[in-house]
Parts: sequence; C-alpha cells; structure tokens
Amino acid sequence: MNLRGLILATSVLTLVVLPVVLQAGEYNAVVEIGAPMPQFSDLPATDGTTLSYADLKEEVVILVFLANHCPWVKGMDPDLIALGEAIQSDNVRIIGVSVNHREDDRLPAMKKHGAEAGYNFTYIYDESQQLGRELGATRTPEYYVFNKDRELVYMGLLHNSPASKRQDGTINYTEGDPTQFYVADAVKALLAGQEIAVAETRAHGCSVEYAQD
Amino acid sequence: MRTRRLAVALTVATCFAVGCGSEPDPAQTAAGTGAPEAVKPSQWKATLEPVSFEGWQEELHSLQGQIVVVDMWATWCLPCIERFPHMVELSTEFADQGVEFVSLCLDDRDDADAIELARKFLTEQKATFPNYLMDEVVTHAFEKLDLLGIPAVFIYGPDGVLRYRLTGDDPNNQYTDADVVDAIEELLAAG
Repeated sequence: MNLRGLILATSVLTLVVLPVVLQAGEYNAVVEIGAPMPQFSDLPATDGTTLSYADLKEEVVILVFLANHCPWVKGMDPDLIALGEAIQSDNVRIIGVSVNHREDDRLPAMKKHGAEAGYNFTYIYDESQQLGRELGATRTPEYYVFNKDRELVYMGLLHNSPASKRQDGTINYTEGDPTQFYVADAVKALLAGQEIAVAETRAHGCSVEYAQD
Repeated sequence: MRTRRLAVALTVATCFAVGCGSEPDPAQTAAGTGAPEAVKPSQWKATLEPVSFEGWQEELHSLQGQIVVVDMWATWCLPCIERFPHMVELSTEFADQGVEFVSLCLDDRDDADAIELARKFLTEQKATFPNYLMDEVVTHAFEKLDLLGIPAVFIYGPDGVLRYRLTGDDPNNQYTDADVVDAIEELLAAG
C-alpha cells in the first residue's frame, strides 16, 4: 500500500472507530479525558461537615475513590498522605470519596480509618453512589484530576507501582520503588500551564460495588 | 444467599486475623503408616497450580470442546470471596452437561501467606475443579488479561472463543450471579 492509500485507509478506520472510542476512556467505561466534574451536594465528610461542588474554590481538585477494607488502599495510604503534604502550600485540594455500601466502607468506618491512617484531606461518603457512577469509578484507589474549569485532565493510578498491605502489615510495591508519579506530575503541569504528559493509566485495586437495579 | 456470603466473608476475615486451622495432609498420613490409605473426603486439600500467562493460554486451549467458565478471584477481593460459593454450586449443577469450571487466582505470587490462605479457602469451599494461580506480577496479570478489576467471569464456548466477559467494569452494568447462569444456559442452548 502506498502512502496515499495508507492515509486513506487510516482516515476510513478513524471514521469508523472514532465514535466508539470517544464514548469513554481507555480504561474507563463511562468518561474520557475532558469530561466535566459531576455536580454533587451536601455529601457528609468524616470531619462532621458536608461538601458540595460549589464549595470547591481551588485551582486543581483531585478526587480519589477509596475503600477502607481494601488492602490496595491501605498499601497506598502513605503515598496518598505524602501527596497531601506535598501539595499543602499549593492551590490544590484532595477529596477522598467512598461509595461502597458494605459496613466497613461507610462513614463510621471511614472516620476510624481516616484517623488511624492520618488522612490529611476531606473524606466524603456518597450513599447514592452517583459520583462514582458518573465518573465510571470501579476500583480503589482510583484518581481523577480536574483543572480550574473542572474538566478531567488525568485518571488512573497515583504512580506506576501500586502497593498492597499484606496480612503481616508490610507494604509491597508491585514494581519496586515508583518512578512515575502521574497525579503529582499532572498537578505540576496544570499549575505551570503545561500539557499533561500521561492523561490516563489503568487503575489497580479492589472493585467498587454498585447497587444494580 | 446474602447471609451465606456474609458467613464466608467472615470466615476469611477470621483467617486473616488468627489463621485458619490446619488439616491433616493425606500424603503425610499415608507415609506415616508405610502403606497407602484412601484419602477421606475431609482430608481433601485443594491445590493451586502456578501458571504463567502463556501457560494459561495453553490450559484454556487444552479445554476446548466444552464450555469453560473461569472465575477470576483473589483473597484480597471481598466480593470475590462472597461470590465464590455460587461458582462451586454451579460447578455441581452443570457437572454432567459438558461445562468445565476453573478458578484463576490473582493474589500476589510472592505473598506466601496470601497463597496459603487462598489454598485453605479453596479447600474449605470444596473447589474440586482445577485451581490456578497466575504466576505474574499481579498488575501485569491484569494487563495481560485486559482486566480492570475482579471478580470477573470469563466464559468460553466449546470452540475456545471467549463468548461472555462478565465484569464490574461498568458501574451501571456490573454482572450478577444470575448473569453467569444465563450465559451458561444460553451457550448450552446454542449447542
């Protein structure tokens, strides 16, 4: 096939495939990069307050779906807290979200886990599960980074070496020491007005369970 | 079903906390007497055979000719633990209809405690069908299987083609136990 033929074939393929690809991200059945942050109202937080979309004034907002019971969440907690410390002086906000209905993922357990783990960010519970459904969040932990216009610019892993907490309490990194810090890099790029180098990765962790009609 | 699921989850949680009781090893019992003994049902122990991704493809290929139901699970996945008894029930229900059940464990291959817990769980559940452990870095296993999360059930037709890929990847269409049964019955009806 000559170059012109290849270009033509590629164009036809794009026309056929593009509508399907645009329906969702590579690793997400519901949203793709550029999707708006879903509206939410008065979701209860572990500190006794409530949080709404309208309360978010920061330049960058990170939503991370969590589940107290999950060894992958527990294994990644120290790195999430380290991210919270690193962005403390910036105009960035982290919001942890739990949507599971099992008792050990509900608000009382969230309060206990957040206190024990040392969570340094707002941790909210969405009984309706709507926030998770609208973002296609199916694993914990799973990160979503939004810019000042509240458009999705990154989703997936915190970094490239997901960690789990084993029964003996040790934390095991699947790929050794992390070398690519996707969320931190996305935040840095946003604050510097630069392009996001890696916009989507395959999140890894426990599955989020949604009530099925 | 809900009560049973809870009981299973609690059992596993207890195993995590205090360790499961060990059962006598049939092989060691026989060796002690110097004569082979019939293995009593209560002494049966599940095996968990490590398999690389490539080896897994070969195993699937070797099962062609029958409907193959693959349950993908791990001890760190509570919904997997809760759903597993249903798969064992189905394996009995469809045993004489040309349906082969197989489990594929996605625990960390280097976590000896988790592997032992998985084996004890399979033994307790009387999962007498073939049980495999994916011998890959766990995140690589998910990539190679093109999986986002577990539990997941893959169902292959007698021709070896993946016919049903039941997952929780879409929040608005996560698979149910009934979906597994429906898929098997549809394949059986298709002949």
